[in-house]
Amino acid sequence: MTTDVTIPHDFWDDDSEGSISSWFFADGDEVQEGEMIAEVMNEKVASELLAPTAGVLRIQVEAEVPVHKGQTVAQIV
Amino acid sequence: MSSADAPVRDVPAATPRQRRLTVCRALNEALHLEMAADPSVVVLGEDLAKIGGVWGTTGGLLDAFGADRVRDTPISESAFIGAAVGMAAMGLRPVVELMFVDFFGVCMNSIYSLAAKQNFFSGGQVRCPMVLMTSVGGGYSDGGQHSQCLYATFGHLPGMKVVIPSTAYDAKGMLIAAMRDDNPVIFMMHKNLLGMGWLGTNPGSMTHVPDEAYEVPLDKAAVVREGSDITLVGLGVTTHHAVAAAKALAKEGVSAEVIDLRAIAPLDRETVRASVRKTGRLVVVDDDYESFGVSAEVIAAACEDRTVRWKSAPRRVAFPDVPIPFSAVLEQGLLPDTEKLLAEARRVLAEDYR
Repeated sequence: MTTDVTIPHDFWDDDSEGSISSWFFADGDEVQEGEMIAEVMNEKVASELLAPTAGVLRIQVEAEVPVHKGQTVAQIV
Repeated sequence: MSSADAPVRDVPAATPRQRRLTVCRALNEALHLEMAADPSVVVLGEDLAKIGGVWGTTGGLLDAFGADRVRDTPISESAFIGAAVGMAAMGLRPVVELMFVDFFGVCMNSIYSLAAKQNFFSGGQVRCPMVLMTSVGGGYSDGGQHSQCLYATFGHLPGMKVVIPSTAYDAKGMLIAAMRDDNPVIFMMHKNLLGMGWLGTNPGSMTHVPDEAYEVPLDKAAVVREGSDITLVGLGVTTHHAVAAAKALAKEGVSAEVIDLRAIAPLDRETVRASVRKTGRLVVVDDDYESFGVSAEVIAAACEDRTVRWKSAPRRVAFPDVPIPFSAVLEQGLLPDTEKLLAEARRVLAEDYR
């Protein structure tokens, strides 16, 4: 089963872009449900991106690339 | 460095999971662990409690340990750093943050007349187990009063340890070692390495960080890359410049050894000398002002070893002796980086005087 990792809509208020400042795991690492896997930055405010489920992380969007709310940035397989 | 150089990309998909942390999160973890282990550790400074620190180092401490041990202070460095020195004299182990090292002017009396000296002047009866955490470094157009390193300013004054970690692993272990040390430790956090998104994060600074508490010694340089033709010495962010330069030199057939000083007081002179005895060539890179600086001291230490067989004169790359400009063009033109280090290394390799 594949689960999308998306940028939550409540991370910031407006429709501006943010970026993933850091991935805390590598592509292919196993992650646990609820574990902090990345940090997302918008207007100098950092939000913690948590793993929605356990599995192997497949990163689709590298750090420091613009992202918008709702965008899929990784999958957990 | 671009994000394509991120170490997470270098790790094969088959490796077991390894949690990586930014430097600021590693420092935060060190504070949580040591405050839980030792009730005499207290934290004070501007915006550390409710906001969690502008450098992201103290998040969650207020909720975990309460307002008696985690305290926001007024914007008065002379008051709260003086208070921390007093707390240390009375048996607490304060961790106090000077938000930018550039602000040391108003609180230096507490630091160098009291913290650094009272152990000596009291015959060991008054100790100062204080950690002063402070941010250093520029490169993001914040002007000369927010962008300096001032390594040498602190390293010059005896009585304090002065450390500058370059990776998240070292940052956590060195902060725990600093909190357990009975001497005042100036703990410098380089802004390019912290992992604050808006400052840019040098990807090399994000490393695997074990969950548990561990110590990294405060008096040992690290050989981060072995080589035989030339020694490149850096500290903090310039360690990453040196590693990048070594990788570029490797493509030209040159084997460069890279040393991360990790601390300048005490300075691990022997690790530098051992390397230069092997290579006979030395370039030191630091982002503090050039004259009377870290690089000069490292070169002097190497030259004092009469068994070194020099193949060329040692050189340094540092910030030229002008206040750091606000203008991005001027600042980037002066700031030591991989390209400037490479140019100097190639000069050293070319002027071989064997």
